[in-house]
Amino acid sequence: MNFDLTPEQKEIQRLARQFATEQILPRAAEWDRNETYPAEMVQAAADLGLLNIGIPEEYGGLGLGMLEEALIGEELGYACMGFDTIILASDLAVVPLKLAGTDEQKKRFFPGLVKGLGAFCLSEADNGSDAAAMKTKAEFVGDEIVVNGTKMWITNGGVCSTYVVLCRTEHAQGHLGTVCVVVPGDAPGVSHNKLHGKMGQRCSYTAEVIFENVRVPKSNMLGGIGDGFKIAMKTLDRTRITVAAGSLGVARRALDESVKYARTRHAFGAPISNLQAIQFKLADMKMGLDTSRLQTHYAAWLVDNDRPHAQASAIAKCRASDVAFSAAAEAIQVHGGYGYMNDFPVEKLLRDVKLNQIYEGTNEIQRVVVARSLLR
Amino acid sequence: MKICTILKQVPDAEASIRTSGDRVDLSGVTFVMDGMDEYGVEEAIRLREGGAQVEIVALALGPKRFEDAIRTSLAIGADRAVHIETDETYDAISQARILAEAVKKEGAELVFVGGKEADWDSAALGPALAEVLGWPHVDWTTKLALSGAAVEATHDTDSGTETVKVALPAVITTQQGLNEPRYPTLPNIMKAKRKELRKAQPADYGAATALTRLTGEAIQVKTRLNKLFSGDAVESATALVNALRNEAKVL
Repeated sequence: MNFDLTPEQKEIQRLARQFATEQILPRAAEWDRNETYPAEMVQAAADLGLLNIGIPEEYGGLGLGMLEEALIGEELGYACMGFDTIILASDLAVVPLKLAGTDEQKKRFFPGLVKGLGAFCLSEADNGSDAAAMKTKAEFVGDEIVVNGTKMWITNGGVCSTYVVLCRTEHAQGHLGTVCVVVPGDAPGVSHNKLHGKMGQRCSYTAEVIFENVRVPKSNMLGGIGDGFKIAMKTLDRTRITVAAGSLGVARRALDESVKYARTRHAFGAPISNLQAIQFKLADMKMGLDTSRLQTHYAAWLVDNDRPHAQASAIAKCRASDVAFSAAAEAIQVHGGYGYMNDFPVEKLLRDVKLNQIYEGTNEIQRVVVARSLLR
Repeated sequence: MKICTILKQVPDAEASIRTSGDRVDLSGVTFVMDGMDEYGVEEAIRLREGGAQVEIVALALGPKRFEDAIRTSLAIGADRAVHIETDETYDAISQARILAEAVKKEGAELVFVGGKEADWDSAALGPALAEVLGWPHVDWTTKLALSGAAVEATHDTDSGTETVKVALPAVITTQQGLNEPRYPTLPNIMKAKRKELRKAQPADYGAATALTRLTGEAIQVKTRLNKLFSGDAVESATALVNALRNEAKVL
């Protein structure tokens, strides 16, 4: 057993930390207030190689694993969970290609994802957790697939180079009729509406994406007819580890801010860090953070070593996001009235991290995944 | 031309440093490459990008943990590295003697050293190294250009700056303003894995004995009086001036 990171992993962590604290953290509050999508910083992250690091080397990528992704995710999440989501939700388009793409498809689609964002289109206005109930249609016409439908809450929708779209066909009911189709970001018939008024993660670009008679070659289908749902679930089994990683960042930030404030804020003639009520909050945050990190890195290690990982990644995602949500809430409590104001960074942590309990499978779905694996 | 950039690894500026007994306790502290040394690596890369044919050798004298800082330099763009590994604490003069041998063995013509280290702050290593080598040196350099077999360097003086031209080989000490060090990129971090990091020992370079022996360390602790002056602006200002004049005796 070895808990040491490799020298390269340490360097990657250091780079991500430096970039996140120097470039992202100082700007995050303003992006949040103005709902600004930070296109330049996304480009800067891509130029540093922080984007889509899992693309295999033979297709122009770095061929790095989920653990490296988790290291980057924690650092970006520390600075701004919204920015973290832009970069790491892009992985949702890379993983299906990795899992189900043919060599020809990988050659065609990976180069565009080395520096370009991906978006994963699963949820619709009327279905989320019940993914198999999707309505977006794929029809086979000659050598082409025609996609019609509207996808909802799509991270990077409208700013990505590549969409991976889950659709249904007439071939069978439920998830047996689903397909997974790659649609270029600039395909005719694709349009989007940016969604406004999110509670948190407000710098991440979230859109309703409309597919209107979008025609792509049949060779853009990943896997076969009926594989769509399966590919989506296998993708999420991996990518939810990045949600866990971002949550670690939020929890660590909540803890750091709380320690800093508790040391300087005085009450009853002494720093409030002398009060056991405050100390217990800090200790609980630290316990939650460290145990979630162990589970997150373990789940990532399972993926990187081709072991079964669905249960471990569900535990990591659910646990880390619950821990981070409660750490953010307690950080506000430690800050008292100041914590409720946006002059301090902790209220943003809470608004941002609420989403971590919802997207890439709600925490209720994670518990279902874990329970099913116990009762199978 | 071969360029040596001397590296040190120091506690992160954010780290909270404690003492344990009569020594600084560095356990649990995050270490980074000294920011001053980053300027040297960056400047060497810029000389290459400016068209000069250079090989950049990162050179470090220190304990095993220095490896992390050395790898950072390789990821930023140094071509290879030599790590003279030792747990011995050398003073600046004895460090300079060992490093000078290494610089000579490498056949380097230009050496970059951080203007001063973030930990000891002595600002002595660069000048000492130049002295041992018998080379000219320019310290606190803020601008540098190659000009044939010489370098033209601008450096700070007490009253402004001056620009000097020195023949190579030479030692240049760096400081803020010389350049803006780049981030290593992920692809370069992965490429650095294949770059040479050669291990050596002080004995390979004549093993200078330390001239100074450390007998104890302490950290200056600031204590606050937490004194508040009440009353209106004039009253509290008067009280403050009195305190500064009569108690703190700084006025």
